Amino acid sequence: MGRYEKVLNMLMDFDESIRLAIISNTSGDILWNSKRKDAKLQVPIAETKKALKRESDDWIDRCKAADRNALGDPLYHITSFEKTKRVTLPIDAFHLLFMSVDNTPMKNTKKKSYGKMVEMGKILSIVDFVNTFE
Amino acid sequence: MDKYEKLLNMLMDFNESIRFAAVADANGEILWNSQRKGLKNIVPVEETKQTIMRALNGWKGNTNVKQYIGSGLYSISSYEKIKRISIPLDNGKLLFCTVNNEPLKKSIIGRGKKSYGHLAEMGKILSIVDFIKEQK
Repeated sequence: MGRYEKVLNMLMDFDESIRLAIISNTSGDILWNSKRKDAKLQVPIAETKKALKRESDDWIDRCKAADRNALGDPLYHITSFEKTKRVTLPIDAFHLLFMSVDNTPMKNTKKKSYGKMVEMGKILSIVDFVNTFE
Repeated sequence: MDKYEKLLNMLMDFNESIRFAAVADANGEILWNSQRKGLKNIVPVEETKQTIMRALNGWKGNTNVKQYIGSGLYSISSYEKIKRISIPLDNGKLLFCTVNNEPLKKSIIGRGKKSYGHLAEMGKILSIVDFIKEQK
């Protein structure tokens, strides 16, 4: 099993909120993907492909911005919607990880809820761990 | 005081990690901004304007998926040293903030684990934004 498939498997095992995980190249083409069993795609795949393309372009800009300024390395990007969070992060110089994560508020929340937290620290440590292979 | 000036003041008072906050119109023009005293810009203003334009374009693209996954709430781009946050406001306006993301010293010394920065407390930021949106 390649390390990209491994990272998808580890992420799906780690967090049940992750509905879909994709590895794409820098042009936004889907290379590997993993969808949670029984989870229906909320967004048509054509729209997800458009988002991947846009995210790929944005990541190129983010990396250039990080090179020009003292921002440090770019780590991740989250776009939060009422029902879903979209998370992207660069796996290496040529690949991007895209995840669609359930953001439906917990039922027992008393105050207005803006969704659930994504455990980015753990997700980044899984990616760092898998990147130590090969 | 305009309600968006109030928003910037409330945000700067609420969280000392917020370094810079601005409200831009739908064309990317900065209408109001607030910079934390004593802090220097890491990024030149011109580049911040480009970032705001990119965020506005991103939110325009996101309107296509509203019917499937609801309205857009916020976006965060996290770098080692800062987080850039954008939140859509009324009439195409956008709130843009940069937040310090330097790891807490204790997390490095105490546990020896790698730190990826700290939380931006988006729930509280969004509740301030909602409070201001309700004002006339």
